Amino acid sequence: MNFDVSQADTPSVMVPPPLADRVIDVRGLNFYYGKNQALFNVDLPVARHQITALIGPSGCGKSTMLRTLNKIYDLYPGQRAEGQILFNGENMLNAKEKVDTSQMANAGGVPINGDTARLRARVGMVFQRPTPFPMSIYENIAFGVRLHRNVSRAEMDEIVETSLTRSALWDEVKDKLDTSGLGLSGGQQQRLCVARGIAVEPEVLLLDEPASALDPLSTAKLETALMELKSSFTIVIVTHNLQQAARISDYTGFMLLGKMVEFRPSSDAFVKPETAAMRDYVTGRYG
Amino acid sequence: MAAPQKQGFDRHMRRKLINYAFVGLTLAATAVAVIALLLILASLVINGFGGISSTVFTLDQPPPEMPGGLRNAIVGSLEMCGIGMVIAVVIGILAGTWLAEYGDHNKLADVVRFLNDVLLSAPSILIGLFVYELLVVHVIHGFSGLAGAVSLAILATPVVTRTTEDILRLQSNQLREAGMALGAGKGLVIRQIIWRASRSGLMTGALLGFARISGETAPLLFTSLGNPNLSLSLTQPMGSLPAVIFQFALSAYDDWRRLAWVGALLIAITVLSANIIGRALARGSHKQ
Repeated sequence: MNFDVSQADTPSVMVPPPLADRVIDVRGLNFYYGKNQALFNVDLPVARHQITALIGPSGCGKSTMLRTLNKIYDLYPGQRAEGQILFNGENMLNAKEKVDTSQMANAGGVPINGDTARLRARVGMVFQRPTPFPMSIYENIAFGVRLHRNVSRAEMDEIVETSLTRSALWDEVKDKLDTSGLGLSGGQQQRLCVARGIAVEPEVLLLDEPASALDPLSTAKLETALMELKSSFTIVIVTHNLQQAARISDYTGFMLLGKMVEFRPSSDAFVKPETAAMRDYVTGRYG
Repeated sequence: MAAPQKQGFDRHMRRKLINYAFVGLTLAATAVAVIALLLILASLVINGFGGISSTVFTLDQPPPEMPGGLRNAIVGSLEMCGIGMVIAVVIGILAGTWLAEYGDHNKLADVVRFLNDVLLSAPSILIGLFVYELLVVHVIHGFSGLAGAVSLAILATPVVTRTTEDILRLQSNQLREAGMALGAGKGLVIRQIIWRASRSGLMTGALLGFARISGETAPLLFTSLGNPNLSLSLTQPMGSLPAVIFQFALSAYDDWRRLAWVGALLIAITVLSANIIGRALARGSHKQ
């Protein structure tokens, strides 16, 4: 478990996706829990319709990183972020700031303009432990949709079916949509949470170790679902499971002690890590 | 340097004996408490059960030596407890929600929490006097059912507030985050997700509050006074079971005393079932 602190101080190796592909672009982010700084000058480019995995030992800041992307840390007074989190060229940390977006793609849509509810409608999140709401399977999905638009019962039926199909859960629950979401197994609950997230039609889906509480079979089903979802959504996933990151991700960011040490396409990063720290981590020297 | 075998044995024995003595003491104390409770229940059943008949529920309290029942008292108690509980549940759940969801690192919340705990153990006769001064003397000018209901509400509110805060704090932050990650505001998450997830716990709080007030006598003597006739009016004096028990149990008439036993049994059954249902619901919510 011990690692050399100096390994985090080496200059980071960044092989980012082209500017025009980035839906989210984090630049020079510092994050604080009260007086404790948890992230140091972190960059994270997230390519559209790709899966970006964040790996690293416990406490390296990968979950913190993820939680800044939809500003969910906002709930807790004392937690704050400084720097730039560009979402379609808008800085989420400073709505008024003018950013040079001439080379960046913009998917369009209404500007966020500092409205966190609007941001969270477009950047969804799935948590480590399944968090079904205490209501029926159908209502679990309808809850988020109703927050953002008015739809007829027929449209809602369709959204529920589509979301559950895309999260590979439809066949297992189609006959019991009116039963409580709490009655599902852990793996099914987690896929319900994915369905709930995508029903809102976000551009980006954040997943915080979504498979850590699941058995291998449920994990496989979840991974299959994520691979399918890639065509319509951008996915950022935090994982402790290196095989999982290597299997499903297109880009991998390796973090250590609150710094982004290495960020490269996964196909290269796992085969030939460039930094000593990532080499040690993926070969099992620590973590 | 091993200790002599004998000393080690003695020390072991002594510890064992002290342990037995301690367990014995706690068992004895428990037995005293349980036996006292069983004796109370037994005397209530023995003295009260025989008096239960349909006239208890259909006739009002009688003059001495006349046939009668407890209808005016039962109806008055139900009405005042009902109104009191509605007030207590609305205020208690909202206040408890504020304390649990918005009251972290907040000086005002600390003060409210402390005062609520004080109110939780305040003698009910003080609450009665307070409402007497406030409503009976000044606002309504006279004893009334409303004053009775308000004093009961003041007694039940801290119980509901406290249970609500405790129950809501049991819900995981991840559930709150999950709601807000969909773009919902905090208020909506609390109302549609957190309250719903805590439903049975909130019920428990209300039932415990009800159990607390259903047998209260002191505050009612100052506020609703009592009324030998059936009255539903909130501005008139209103009968209640505890007040009738107080009056009848101390009287010289056998049939009045018999009715007092019946009233006491009815209250005991109500409190007992409220507690049992409340606890069963609480257990159900933990399993979830």
